[in-house]
Amino acid sequence: MSTTEFSRIQEAVGTLAACSTTSESRMDLRADADHLLQAVTSFRALNWGYLSAITGLDGGPAPTDGHIGILYHFCQGPAVVTFRVEVPRDHAVVPSISAVVPSAPLFERELSEMLGVEVQGLPAGKRQFLSDDWPPGVYPLRKDFSPESAVPVARSAPVIGSEEAPGTFIVPIGPQHPALKEPGHFEFAVDGEIITGASVRLGYVHRGIEKGAEDRSWVQALYLVERICGICSHIHATAYTLGVEALAGMTVPPRAQAIRTIICELERVHSHLLWLGVAAHEAGFDTLFMFSWRDRETVMDLLESVTGNRVNYSVNLLGGVKCDIDAAAADAIRRGVDYLQERTRHYLKIVTTDESFLRRTRGVGAISREMSERYGTVGPTARASGVTTDLRKAAPYAAYGQFPVEPVFSQACDQEARFVVRVKELFECYRVLREILDHLPGGDLAIPAPRKVPEGEAISRVEAPRGELFYYLRSTGGVKPDRVKVRTPSLCNWAAVVNVVVGQKLADIPVILAGIDPCFSCNDRSFTLRRRGRTGGSGHGSASAETWSWEELRAYGIRYYGGGR
Amino acid sequence: MPDQKLPSAWKRAIDRVALWSRINSPWLVHFNSGSCNGCDIEILATLAPRWDLERFGVKLWGSPRHADVLVCTGPVTRLARERLVRVYEQMPSPKFVVAIGSCGITGGAFHGCYNIVGDIGDVIPVDVYVPGCPPRPEAIIDGVVQLLTKLKPPRTSRARAAGGAG
Repeated sequence: MSTTEFSRIQEAVGTLAACSTTSESRMDLRADADHLLQAVTSFRALNWGYLSAITGLDGGPAPTDGHIGILYHFCQGPAVVTFRVEVPRDHAVVPSISAVVPSAPLFERELSEMLGVEVQGLPAGKRQFLSDDWPPGVYPLRKDFSPESAVPVARSAPVIGSEEAPGTFIVPIGPQHPALKEPGHFEFAVDGEIITGASVRLGYVHRGIEKGAEDRSWVQALYLVERICGICSHIHATAYTLGVEALAGMTVPPRAQAIRTIICELERVHSHLLWLGVAAHEAGFDTLFMFSWRDRETVMDLLESVTGNRVNYSVNLLGGVKCDIDAAAADAIRRGVDYLQERTRHYLKIVTTDESFLRRTRGVGAISREMSERYGTVGPTARASGVTTDLRKAAPYAAYGQFPVEPVFSQACDQEARFVVRVKELFECYRVLREILDHLPGGDLAIPAPRKVPEGEAISRVEAPRGELFYYLRSTGGVKPDRVKVRTPSLCNWAAVVNVVVGQKLADIPVILAGIDPCFSCNDRSFTLRRRGRTGGSGHGSASAETWSWEELRAYGIRYYGGGR
Repeated sequence: MPDQKLPSAWKRAIDRVALWSRINSPWLVHFNSGSCNGCDIEILATLAPRWDLERFGVKLWGSPRHADVLVCTGPVTRLARERLVRVYEQMPSPKFVVAIGSCGITGGAFHGCYNIVGDIGDVIPVDVYVPGCPPRPEAIIDGVVQLLTKLKPPRTSRARAAGGAG
């Protein structure tokens, strides 16, 4: 960050927050809870960056610390500006910044559920990503949390559409549904074919990984974060290792960084081809699904031949990588890429010219650039709306500094644009892969990593196939991480998509949902939004004779199908 | 069908036909109760052209009401537990469960995380476990085949005589 930018920000917040720069790309602004909103408001007036994540840090119970730190990370290019607020643990209250940062509610919701921070001004809603039987007043990310304290409490049966106005017809979808490959629960309020409101309840695959990482050593946590998502496991591991290496002050050999980058790009190719197939399947175009999954096996074979596994490759070590790419493997990758390039040309032709397919995609689910920025979408979803941010270029990590990538974007904003952007990104992947293979640096694959990581904090941001992935790591100098905060790209894209479906046809839902390439296992958290004249809930229970309760329905189902074994 | 009114010979014949069709064309329903997606994409890969499970009569179907086999992935999270039980209960009997991946066996990498209630066997009865993180598509296919082998009736003495040592 240039010093002029630094002084501009300092000038804007004035006396509302104490400024300090911790490195050339990071700046901390310490504010107290009373002045936070004012400070953020004057900061936002500069129109600098976007809110990338909110991290909550529990310092532990009273004699040690007794405070909860709340970090609001704003990013632009490689620069990160962090607002830091400290509140006492027994009275953790902060104002909501959603009035000035419309994408904040998701992060604030998470903060209040996981750390018990009361966010004033955040609309009250039902339980979001912890289960419905989670006891109130128990917060898993607090340091004194023990799993035994999370004793299930009684809860009322969930009533579909209970928050809707009477007479509204609700179409519930999920968590097990043919249109969903992963569990999520959606409720669409419809007027005939047209959607008038939408909400989503995720958290079905919330496993508690952030807390789990605190119980594992730095090395063990690497294998845990790799399993946040099976589709983009390498990018999670890369973000984590880059963060730990920054904390430990390690300089990773250039060959290791280049190999990491190669795997990143191969993973992107596999992820985009996977998405292309699934999205085409949702639009009823199974031929394209079969073709793209057949061709995806080419890249799966390459990943397997280099790393030994088709999924969860486990390439990264703290301090380098564990597998090499020799001349034979490089040639195999080149041949594979040549074949895939040919096929990708064909796919580009299909998604831009096939008449019946275009009727499902052109003009459908348009997210304007303004809307995209307001709700903080990231990755190909944002780039299909004309946002040009790609962290591989904006804040190069691993070997992207030596092997630059050109972001692919489109101004069309609709579903077709999301297909075009991802397919065109594949060409960029192929080009970068060839480039790295032709100039693969020599040298070691890894350097030894210390068992204990020095005290400090690090932020690591990488471009996952679905968009910006954010990691915040903190060490207290021990063998285990003190905090691992993960903000995944899918989380940022939900807000825009739940808003954009309003006014669309119900039949277009699978296509629009697939358009953001949602990854529920990445999210492992959730939120609810209601739109268009929802006056809030008055609790229409299941008292009427036509409405069956959960238990009645379940008993009927068991009876009808002669349940049991 | 009011089976009890049928003469027993008829019932036996119908049962044999039902079993034959169940073994030769099992319908699968897939549920992810907290998986990282790794196993799920490998299940989908078994349907893609390289493995093409459908040519053996195996069909992945969206509704538990029509399914014979529940293919489960992942450890079981607190929120998904109830739904897993519900999906299982919705399936008509006889029904079978194949748990895919290390998490489904022990909780895998997520063992000890606060939102995990256990492995799949803790929640519903499992017939076949397929280990791996994730298992390869061949292993998943093998798991289903193992299940179908279990279902096959023991060969009669006449069949043994005709088919050799068998």
